Amino acid sequence: MQASRQQPRSLKHQLWVAFLVVPPIVFMSLFVVYPILSAFAYAFYDWQGLARGEFVGLKNFREVLFGATMAPVVWNAFLHNVYALIALMIIQNGGGFFLAWLLYKEPFGFRFHRIAVFVPVVLSTIIVGFLWKLFLNPNFGIINQALYSVGLDSWAKPWLGDSSTALGALILANAWHFVGFPALVYLAGMQRIPPEIIEAARLDGTNEWQLLKNVVWPLVAPSTTILFTLLFIGAFNWFEIPYVMVGLDGSPFGSTDVLGLVFYRTAFGNQSASIQNFGMGSALATLLFLFIVVFASMLTLWLRRREIQF
Amino acid sequence: MKLTRRILMAAAAGSFLLSGTAAMAQTELTFWSWRQEDKAFYQDIIKKFQAKEPGITVKFETYAPENYQTILSTALAAGRGPDVIQARAYGNLETIATSGYLLALDQQNVPELANFPEAALAAETLRSNGKVYAVPFAMQAQLVVYNKKIFKDNGLNPPKTWDEMMALAQALKAKNINPFSNGTATAWQNETIVGGLLSSMLGKEFEADIVSGKANFTDPRFVSALAKLKDISQYFAPNFIGVDYPSSQQLFVAGRAAMFAGGSYEVANFKNQNPTLDLGVFPAPVLKAGDQALIATYYDGGYAVNAKSEKKDAALKFVRFLATPEYGTAFTNTLKNLSPIKGIKIEDPITQDVAKLAENSMSYLMLVRFRYQEPSGSVLLQSNVQKMLAGQQTPEQAAAEINKGIATYYKPFQK
Amino acid sequence: MTAITSDAPATRQAIPFVLLAQVILIANSFIMLYPVVVMVLSAFKTTGEIFEHPFALPDFTQVQNFAKVLGETAMPVYFVNSILVTGTSIVLILVLGTMAGYAVARYESRTNTFILLFFLAGLMLPLKLAVIPLFILLRDLGLLDSRWSLIVTYTAIGLPSTVFIMAGFLRTLPSELEDAARIDGASEPRIMWSVMLPLARPPMAIAAIQNAVPIWNDFFFPLVFIQTDARKTLPQGLTTFMGEYTTDWGMLFAGLTIAAAPITLLYIALSRQFIQGMTAGAVK
Repeated sequence: MQASRQQPRSLKHQLWVAFLVVPPIVFMSLFVVYPILSAFAYAFYDWQGLARGEFVGLKNFREVLFGATMAPVVWNAFLHNVYALIALMIIQNGGGFFLAWLLYKEPFGFRFHRIAVFVPVVLSTIIVGFLWKLFLNPNFGIINQALYSVGLDSWAKPWLGDSSTALGALILANAWHFVGFPALVYLAGMQRIPPEIIEAARLDGTNEWQLLKNVVWPLVAPSTTILFTLLFIGAFNWFEIPYVMVGLDGSPFGSTDVLGLVFYRTAFGNQSASIQNFGMGSALATLLFLFIVVFASMLTLWLRRREIQF
Repeated sequence: MKLTRRILMAAAAGSFLLSGTAAMAQTELTFWSWRQEDKAFYQDIIKKFQAKEPGITVKFETYAPENYQTILSTALAAGRGPDVIQARAYGNLETIATSGYLLALDQQNVPELANFPEAALAAETLRSNGKVYAVPFAMQAQLVVYNKKIFKDNGLNPPKTWDEMMALAQALKAKNINPFSNGTATAWQNETIVGGLLSSMLGKEFEADIVSGKANFTDPRFVSALAKLKDISQYFAPNFIGVDYPSSQQLFVAGRAAMFAGGSYEVANFKNQNPTLDLGVFPAPVLKAGDQALIATYYDGGYAVNAKSEKKDAALKFVRFLATPEYGTAFTNTLKNLSPIKGIKIEDPITQDVAKLAENSMSYLMLVRFRYQEPSGSVLLQSNVQKMLAGQQTPEQAAAEINKGIATYYKPFQK
Repeated sequence: MTAITSDAPATRQAIPFVLLAQVILIANSFIMLYPVVVMVLSAFKTTGEIFEHPFALPDFTQVQNFAKVLGETAMPVYFVNSILVTGTSIVLILVLGTMAGYAVARYESRTNTFILLFFLAGLMLPLKLAVIPLFILLRDLGLLDSRWSLIVTYTAIGLPSTVFIMAGFLRTLPSELEDAARIDGASEPRIMWSVMLPLARPPMAIAAIQNAVPIWNDFFFPLVFIQTDARKTLPQGLTTFMGEYTTDWGMLFAGLTIAAAPITLLYIALSRQFIQGMTAGAVK
């Protein structure tokens, strides 16, 4: 189990341990800790264009959360992040759970299906975004072409241009990209359940649904915890898919705007806007970061407790 | 394992070498641009410049337009960036000029500024100190590009009035031809469409009233023009709210639509993609016969010198070269864009047409006047027109939203 | 063999359930794979053919799109850059991650908890949000616009999870191994190198795959750090490419296919390792 721990605390030994530990820590401090602390610091300064001005305290934070210009944009985007989180929780993680259960039973061809479900996961998000953008083209994309060819003309829509379907289309593209991940994590979780437990439940005459709900779901709770936490972090850092598929503006008219796009626009500007503000961008990044850390920790703690109860 | 290690070491060595070998006796300038499609032209120009100035070489790099601002500003903020910068105009210029990243230009260091009209220099001037920061390179116009063959085959002529335009569009649609290839899915398309189709109905007087504060964007002229736009959008590309900019270009290039409301800069691009196209241009239709027909013009950007460059002298030499009539002529005739340099002889007939139309023009309003503060007039116009054309708000609501946003900072509206 | 086959005959709803499961799985695999298939098929078509016959099989001898992508664009350069960046980053991640993981797992120290917490924090920090100061730092180090800017960034991002994977595994190795070597008079570095590390290949493979896939696919950092076309990576280069050929769908699909091919083929060949590696962080 544990290594024996009575090494002589000689200088030579300490040097050896330092040799092992110091380079990775220095590396992390330099390229992760220092930039992040600096980003926090930037948020407290006024920025003239790209040049750092004077210390302004919490002004940038106030502007981001309550300012007449920024706040509506930020809250609108935040809401879309929440929608994406909820929808993906159901479609991506929930769908993954059911797929895992089907794979767990090892029906005919399950090896093939297991490989197939994970294919999109290894693709770059950029590729996935461009691919679905082409597929969703209203006049030439295969989605509408397929609907026309089976006579469902009225179902065909300008998916990414219609404010009622655009965000949904992004969410589905994301779910297509990643559903294999929760599926296979859940599958691994299910394979850890002692077969006797499931066997016993079956002998009691439990039907499939009850088995899934009362036995399997609680027993894969550790997988649920980590998958929900990862999804939470991912949903609030969402950037690549919207960037590629609808552009920096969250087109049409902000109906697909998410915080990742707002951050990028605020910090780096875009062609149609004028202002580029590192201070406000950093303030938004700081708030987003704090939000993610606090909620992800709370979520993890809450889900963990749920695990223990069973 | 050994092999991969060797490859990796070679890679490491290679990248050190790549970043390490700078010019020795030669002065090497770097020059950044977002005009990926003009690469061949610039390479050619650089060759000409290098022949004149054998001591200087210029390294030309282009970036995707949507990322250009990011890459440039991040580099400048870090005290880096190229020696010569293709910068945009108006508000986007101010972002980098205000921060002191650009070298101020005047008749002393760039005597060729005398070759430019006032309005062109104004586009590259910082409002706070009145100094010019870039040598303007192009004037662009928003208008209507049309497919002459489709017009001729159907016995149609370019419309003068709005009613003629509507009738023409209907006639085309009746024959199963897409009147316009335009769509609205890409936000900024909406601004170009407004510029291309509504300028004559808005009029120069409207612009003057906006500037003086006599009128704002809830003005009837603006609202009714938006209503007309909503009207004509039924003749845009099929499923137009989902048609993004490349798709609408594609429709027009493939000859599947008769008209394209947008930038004069697309003419050369369309011709490149489909040399068989016979194209013409006309200004935004007027409300009633006799009104002045206008196009919306603006200056695209300019060539600037990085204030932190260590090779300012060489960079200025290059920028001065880019301000000569010789350069302007090559620019206009190769790229079919209007150089603002005075006294250039235009060869291409369509470019001549655009130049003639430009004699009657108003500003491409939001870019020229309202991209200095947030929320920018462009962002407001784009998203609210997009929303209006999707049927999610009325022209009155769109106008009110645009006005509300601009009024938060625009003094003349706050009276 | 499995629960379902052993007791399926006993219950009546079991047979339709098996059927239903098959239908769902086949439908799902179809949805997962068909878009990829369409991408590849469309790469063999001209834009006109894609628009007129989106579902038809192409003439597979029509490879001009591929020839054009490989011959006329910088795609091959992007590809080599991606390999260099990903490969070097993985080596650095494994070296540094194993060093820290080994120290934490095999030597008792009061600082161990601190070190683990330090790396745990690194696991949660989205470095993307600190891209501006990171950019300035890389400039000061003279790494900007070089492949090293990406390599150090990716190494920093991948390090925490690797430390956990390596520490978690190394801790499970029996101490008798070390003790025997120590009695033979072997030095600590020698024990680490010759006794322990040869046993740690499986977690190294997991850590390598877990990091390699996101690094290979990343788009954000090259977007900001790399300006010279000759140093762009595949995903970043792909956006440049997609911007240049917006109206030529045949070319777009060929570009996407070429960009997707290496990792997809590698995945199909090594699917077990890929799945294990990529889910390693979430499967305890």
